[in-house]
Amino acid sequence: MKTINGNQFAEMVQMGAHHLAQNAAYVDALNVFPVPDGDTGTNMNLSMTSGAAETATHTTEHLGKTAQALAKGLLMGARGNSGVILSQLFRGFGKSVEGYAEVTAEQFAAGLQYGVDTAYKAVMKPVEGTILTVAKDAAKKAVEAAKEVDAIDELMTIILEEAKASLKRTPDLLPVLKEVGVVDSGGQGLVYVYEGFLASLKGEELPEKTAGGSMDEMISAEHHMAIQGFMDTSEIEFGFCTEFMVRLDETKKSFDEGDFRNDLSVYGDSLLVISDDEVAKIHIHSEQPGEVLNYGQQYGDLIKIKIENMREQHTDLVGEQPKKQKTVKHPYAVVTVAMGTGVSELLKNLGASAVIEGGQTMNPSTEDIVKAIKDVGAERVLILPNNKNIIMAAEQAAELLEIEAAVVPTKTVPQGMAAVLAFNPEATVEDNKNSMTQAFAHVKTGQITHAVRDTSIDGVEIAKDDFMAIAEGKIILSTKDLEVAAKQLLESMVDEDAELLTILYGQDTTEAHAQELADWVEAHYPDVEVEMYNGKQPLYPYILSVE
Amino acid sequence: MSIEIKNDFGQIEISQDAIAQIAGGAAIECYGIVGMASKHQVKDGLSDILRKENFSKGVLVREKDGKVNIDMYIIVSYGTKISEIAYQVQSKVKYTLGKSLGMAVESVNVYVQGVRVATM
Repeated sequence: MKTINGNQFAEMVQMGAHHLAQNAAYVDALNVFPVPDGDTGTNMNLSMTSGAAETATHTTEHLGKTAQALAKGLLMGARGNSGVILSQLFRGFGKSVEGYAEVTAEQFAAGLQYGVDTAYKAVMKPVEGTILTVAKDAAKKAVEAAKEVDAIDELMTIILEEAKASLKRTPDLLPVLKEVGVVDSGGQGLVYVYEGFLASLKGEELPEKTAGGSMDEMISAEHHMAIQGFMDTSEIEFGFCTEFMVRLDETKKSFDEGDFRNDLSVYGDSLLVISDDEVAKIHIHSEQPGEVLNYGQQYGDLIKIKIENMREQHTDLVGEQPKKQKTVKHPYAVVTVAMGTGVSELLKNLGASAVIEGGQTMNPSTEDIVKAIKDVGAERVLILPNNKNIIMAAEQAAELLEIEAAVVPTKTVPQGMAAVLAFNPEATVEDNKNSMTQAFAHVKTGQITHAVRDTSIDGVEIAKDDFMAIAEGKIILSTKDLEVAAKQLLESMVDEDAELLTILYGQDTTEAHAQELADWVEAHYPDVEVEMYNGKQPLYPYILSVE
Repeated sequence: MSIEIKNDFGQIEISQDAIAQIAGGAAIECYGIVGMASKHQVKDGLSDILRKENFSKGVLVREKDGKVNIDMYIIVSYGTKISEIAYQVQSKVKYTLGKSLGMAVESVNVYVQGVRVATM
């Protein structure tokens, strides 16, 4: 075929428009640029249909006149960016071939080139990687090839090949396409038009509906659409992106793609089904991925199953903070237990990553400990219970955790403080456990608390509301006078080896009182250094440690 | 004058000039647009196409009750379907402002100030 006339061109246009219409939905799905509203295919289709309708009613033998009709129809019906560009491409083409009753391959190529020139003139800032680029590359190739190729169908084959190759390159030119993983929608639309042209020239039939690109491309396009539709994670209706293949088995339920698609559509949206005689590939967004798989299994073996939680993915995508924030604050942590905000502060200042509220009468559970460690985001952890009643829970927590964990069995807050100080972030969990256990071994703890009832322990008579002095877990006296209790406790604890006395005074006493006590110690034991902190702990007016 | 956005961390002020530049930049990427024109054509020269730094002359940003309304003065290419191009400008400007500023645009009014014939 050396030339084409108006009638032949009109047929090409009809075929191009028809083929584009068949695939408009796919083009819609690809739409990311300039605004991802998923209407490029629809717009191009409406534009092209208008062009084709005008061509159909004004077809003459004269190619120039037929092309003019196409240009006019396209201009009137132009919809959307790609539609307008399409109209410009054929407006230029129409102008170029205006005077010809029929065109040669060379004139046809020149027409395409003039169309591209026209289209580029109408834009201030052409964006490459769009339909413009695809048209430009194809036209350039056409002009080159027409120097050697006379047959128009042969030329059209070359044009289509180049258009497809150019389309494939669009993601390299336009980052947004690469990001989503699709080719340009407008460019794809133009390729469909050219495919129609070629089929018409060759007298071939095109498949009624081609799959349009690979399944993977369609899936990323569907995903893109799904994400565009929902700005808020909570609005995702179907949460699981489910993809699988069924190896069709003749002995099982007989496969009909239409029925299959219909049946699956009740489980969710973004459904894609592609099949040949052997396998069916399915992609669907569903709330019940299990049901979908069960359905698929009726037709044969499932292969290549992939299910993803899109809510999680979307959360990442839109940059929302995940609800359960797992920031790794302290990959290697010391988690301890204490009562009183002052004590907590002190422990944290000494190096504890987290302090769980608790202690006597309100022991944290294993669960509390596990949760605290997870909140910290620790990968390795040392747990300091600071109370003999919590050691068990801590041990259990250490076992439950799927990370390296060890318990340093501190029974009192002063022990815990000494242990925290010995923590070495460079050492292994095991080594730390050993050195921290050694560190608290030489700490003597004294505590003063209220008696809650009358009793007799360790040979000491205790009356309700008395102050009990406890040295190293042993009750040494009970008295109504806090000062007497404190002084006697100190006397029992401070010996020649004592270097440092730490006083943690609690809610039930005053700083002035604690200061008096400190002064008294300094007067009586000049070699002992005294440190005093407001521990704000309940129940224990004084917690003392002697090292 | 500027548009204020308040969030948990404090407030953000975006000048109308900045908004005009983003809107103008989005518009001139639209197919069929030849350029932005001045709102005051007589005063500023009848057919002068505005440069980037002058976009504010062709893009009017108004704020009312926290909603932004934009007027755009454009020049389009001859032989194109002007209504479609104007619509493209509206949709692209709205989308771009929403994306880059998180700003809800109530209206984008497009005034076609001129038609340029592309010289071949």
